[in-house]
This record gives sequence, C-alpha cells and structure tokens, in this order.
Amino acid sequence: MVAIDPSLAADVTKPKADNRQARTGWGLAAPALILMFLILLVPIIAAGVLSFTNYSLGNPSFDWVGLQNYERLFTRSTYEKMYVATFTYVVTVVPISVGLGLGAALLVHSLGRIGDIYKTIYFLPVMATLLAMAIAWEFMLHPTIGMVNRTLEMACGTWFEVIPFFADGCAEGFPLWLGDRDYAIWVVCFIGIWQGFGFNMVLFLAGLTSVHRELYHAAEMDGARSGWERFRLVTWPALGPTTVFVVTISCIRAFQVFDTIEAFWPQGGGPNKSAYVMMFAIFEKGIQQNLIGIGSAITMLFLLFVMFLTLIQRWLVERKVHY
Amino acid sequence: MTRDWWKHMVLILGTIIVLAPFYMMVSYSFKSPGEIDRGEGGFFGRQEMMIDPRCVALRQPDRADIEAARARFAGQDDASVQASLLAETEADCSMRPVVFNYSKAFTEAPLVRYLLNGVIVTVSIFLIQIVVALPAAYALAKLKFWGRDAVFGLVLFCLLIPVHAIALPLYIGLAKLGLTNTYAALVVPWTISVFGIFLMRQFFMTVPDDLIDAARMDGMSELAIVWRVMLPTAIPALLAFAIFSVVAHWNDYFWPRIVVTGNRDLFTPPLGLREFKGDGDGSFFGPMMATATVIVTPLIVAFLLAQRRFIEGITLSGMK
Repeated sequence: MVAIDPSLAADVTKPKADNRQARTGWGLAAPALILMFLILLVPIIAAGVLSFTNYSLGNPSFDWVGLQNYERLFTRSTYEKMYVATFTYVVTVVPISVGLGLGAALLVHSLGRIGDIYKTIYFLPVMATLLAMAIAWEFMLHPTIGMVNRTLEMACGTWFEVIPFFADGCAEGFPLWLGDRDYAIWVVCFIGIWQGFGFNMVLFLAGLTSVHRELYHAAEMDGARSGWERFRLVTWPALGPTTVFVVTISCIRAFQVFDTIEAFWPQGGGPNKSAYVMMFAIFEKGIQQNLIGIGSAITMLFLLFVMFLTLIQRWLVERKVHY
Repeated sequence: MTRDWWKHMVLILGTIIVLAPFYMMVSYSFKSPGEIDRGEGGFFGRQEMMIDPRCVALRQPDRADIEAARARFAGQDDASVQASLLAETEADCSMRPVVFNYSKAFTEAPLVRYLLNGVIVTVSIFLIQIVVALPAAYALAKLKFWGRDAVFGLVLFCLLIPVHAIALPLYIGLAKLGLTNTYAALVVPWTISVFGIFLMRQFFMTVPDDLIDAARMDGMSELAIVWRVMLPTAIPALLAFAIFSVVAHWNDYFWPRIVVTGNRDLFTPPLGLREFKGDGDGSFFGPMMATATVIVTPLIVAFLLAQRRFIEGITLSGMK
C-alpha cells in the first residue's frame, strides 16, 4: 500500500470526494428508494384516488363518484358491523394479551432458569402457521366431536352444574362456538390472545432484564417491602417504554386479523357478520366482489387508524422516554 | 421451589391451554377416522389396521378381473371369485391409520410441491430484501450526501405502512401488469423491507469508520465494501433478520390468498392446507391434520433447536 499523508490527501480531494460520495450514496440507495415509491407510496396514492371512483377490474372506464364510497362506509349497517367486530377484537385482544404477556413475563422472570421452559412453550403459537392452528382450533371447538365440548361434558353430573353455564350446557347442549353469533367473535378473540401473548411476554422479558437490581435494593431501603410496592415503584415505570411499544404493536397486529376469520367463515365473516373485520371486508369487497372503490375507501380508513396509533406511540415514547 | 408452587400452577395451566391445539393436531394425525369420531384411542390411537374406502372403491373388481382371476380360483362360481377378489383388494388397501393419514396428505394434494413453493418464495424474498436493503442501509449509515436525511425520513415514514393494509392497490397493480398467479406476484410486494433497511442502518452505525477507510485505501469500490466488508460484520443481525423474514412469509396466508387463485402449482403451504379443508368431507380430518403437522413442523423444530436466535429474530421489531 502506498503511504499517503491523510490530511494532504483529504485537502486536495475533498470537494471531489464529497461529490463522488454523493453520487455513490444516491446510487446505492436508489433501488430501495424506487421500490419504496412503487410498492409503498404509489399504492397509497392509488387507493386514495380509487376510493373516489366506482372502478372495477376489467371495466374499460369508471366514474368519479365523489364521497359516495365514504358515505356508504358511515351509513350502511354492514359497515357498522365491521366497526363493531374490528373494535371488539382490538379492544379485547390488546389489553388481555398485553396483560397476560406481562404477567407471564413476571412469573417466568422470577423463576430464573426453570422459567425458560415456559418461555419456550408460550412462544410456540407465535412460530406456528396461524392458519393451521386456526383449523386445529376449529376441530377443538367442533360442537359434537370437539375436545372442548367433550371436556365440558365431563363436568355434567358433578358440582360444576351449580354454575349456570354448565347447567344450561348439560341440559341443552354446550354452545356451537363458531356457529353461534353470541360466541363467534369471542372465540376469534381468544385465539388471537392465545397466539399473541407469548410474543408480548418475550418483549417484556427483554425489558425486565434491563431493570437494574440496585433499583430494587434502593426501593427496599425506602420501605417498599411488598412485592406489589416494588412492582409499582420500580418495575412498572422501568417497563414504560416497552409497554408503549408492546401495546402499539399488538394494536397493529390486532387490526390486521384475517387468517382465523377466513379459515372459519370463508363466506360472509361469521354468523350474522359478527366477525366481519376490516381486513376481511377489504378482501371481500375489493378482491372477491371486485368493488374496488369501496375496498379502497376501507383501505384508506384502515391506514388512517394504523398510522394514528403509531403516531400516538411515537409521541408517548418521546414524551416519557426518560425514567 | 416450595414458595414458587403457585407460580408453577398458574404457568402449567397456561401451558395446557397453549399446547392443547398442538396436542390435538398431532394426535388426530395419528388416528383413524372412527377413533376421531368417537374420541377414543388416547394420543397415538390404537393403530389397528384400517381399510381405505376410496382405495377399495377405485379397485372394485369388474367382469374382466373376474375372468382373469378364474384360473386362480378354479372350480368356484362368479360370486365367490368376486368375494375373494374383494377380500384381496381390501387386504391390499388396509394400512395403519398413521400411514393412511400421512400418505393421504402427500398424495391427495401435491404437498411436496407446496412445501417447495414455500421454500422458493421465502428464500427469494429474503435474498432480494438483502440485495436491496444492504446498500441502502450502508449509504444511510456511512456515506455523507445531500438529501440523506430526507431519505432516512422517508424510511421512517414507510415503517408506518403495513404492507397487508395496501394489499388491494398492490393487487390491482399486479393484475394490470398481468402478474397475478405468478411467483413474481408472491414475491414482489415484499422485496422492499423498510424495516430491514432501518435495522441494518442502525447496525452499520456501530461499525467503525476505520474499517471502511482501510478498505477504500485498498482500492475497493463502495459496492465491494458493502458485500465484502459490511456484510461479514453484520452476520448476527442478518441472521436475526432472516429468521424474522422467513417466519413471516412461510406463515403468511393473506397475501398468497389474494394473488394466487386456482393455480395449484403456485400454492404455498398455508394455501394448500386451506384447499384441503375446502374439499374435505368429515372423514378427512386425519389426513388434514397430518398436512397441518407437516406444514407447522419445520419452523417449530428449527425454533426448538435454536431458541435464543429465533426469539431474538422475532422480537427484532422491539429493538428500536
């Protein structure tokens, strides 16, 4: 290698090198930039434009219909059911899966090495193909030969019958679960929680390992004797940023629920449309029925919800990042 | 330990609920239709020989068979020849339930093809993501150029967009290009991983500048630096990202469901399973659960073998 005085070389070639670096910089980033535009930004704009039309694939032309698609979204009862189903799912799954994730993380963390086995097991549903597991759950919940109702039937004739649910079930048969419009959405919620809480647990565990032990000693010195006090004064504040993140990511995942719904009810989104969530609506309206305008309007609404949530998260993180 | 018993109680209860569908899936894949119907046979089933009704139906002895077999059953009338032939067919068609379920899983539908498609799609998505994301991440982390902050701002903005949410306009675009029902349709929307760019950029920021300067002194081009200097330093982060990407796309159902319609040659494993469910009558629970087990197993086994790496990879998105 030739020995060059670095300062001299830098002086002579600086403007040239800057120029060259700018060109290579743009050159290296170009493929990513082009794809970002074509795959992420253009489709959003396209959806925005199409949501004001009555376009269908295969039609040579289309009409501008103004706000008609959005008007439908806020007046038709189908879409009211869509909001009810989506928000029921999100509002149920997010708090419970975050709560269970935190609880499991605290228990597993306090057990030390033995706790790792539970960590492994609770993480399995995150790894498994959700569609396959949805079908497995469908068999479990089969009204006559499913494991769930068979297990419940074993309680018949015992003191369990004191509970109204068991008394009714033993007399008139246990619920149909997926076929029953009172249970359908809750079953889907349950599977969402079942699948997601292990993920949240692992994120909380990562957060817990970063809490300094000295903080617990300090809290104890200050008179925080009970486990609850230590949790309230040390653990919970230290987990703040993790919690904000876990809640946001759970929300975004919950909004995107689709696999279970499509597996259980390929047509129609559940008994009486009780599980007609937004992603399923986009799929049904936009792709199956080729009503691109209305599908695009739902897409825009969906993006609005998700981006709003993420912006809240960023704002929260920036506001209380220091603990 | 004695003080912790209640924690174990709670966690074991959770374990039962978490494992129940896995238990049932694997157990049903071992059992005969009768055992599934009646709910007996424990975990493995009794594994008694069973007769495959479809196999028998296909090989029902006809007139010609009886004529051909007359020599073997000399001196018997037609009815008894037919009966003996039927008995032979049934013997040929009987097998253990576990063999029945798994062989049906692979013969009723081209499951090997589906698995191969799954591998092709996940691997090409990952490779293209890397080819696109690494140079961009390097440029954003280590090169100074006008507009760099704007580009990075765009990356941060794009992190907000879930690709599933814009599936409809993407589908329209691909349909306009005539690309639906191709491998390209399965791969293209995932070729840009904004998250990958962000992640690798954060990682490259920690690589010392001296390393890059030394490589420049040696006369390496910037592109060569990306692949021969930066890539080797980033192996752990890349591995985590690979796991993240492969798990997401192996398990993805929504996107393949949209762009692949009817063409079985392009089905990914979840689509294949879905089709199985669509045309299965009740007696097909066993083979279907066998299919499900085959599809779920690769990732679960890989996870059990390299747990730490998998958990790292999947929770990457928490590393912000």
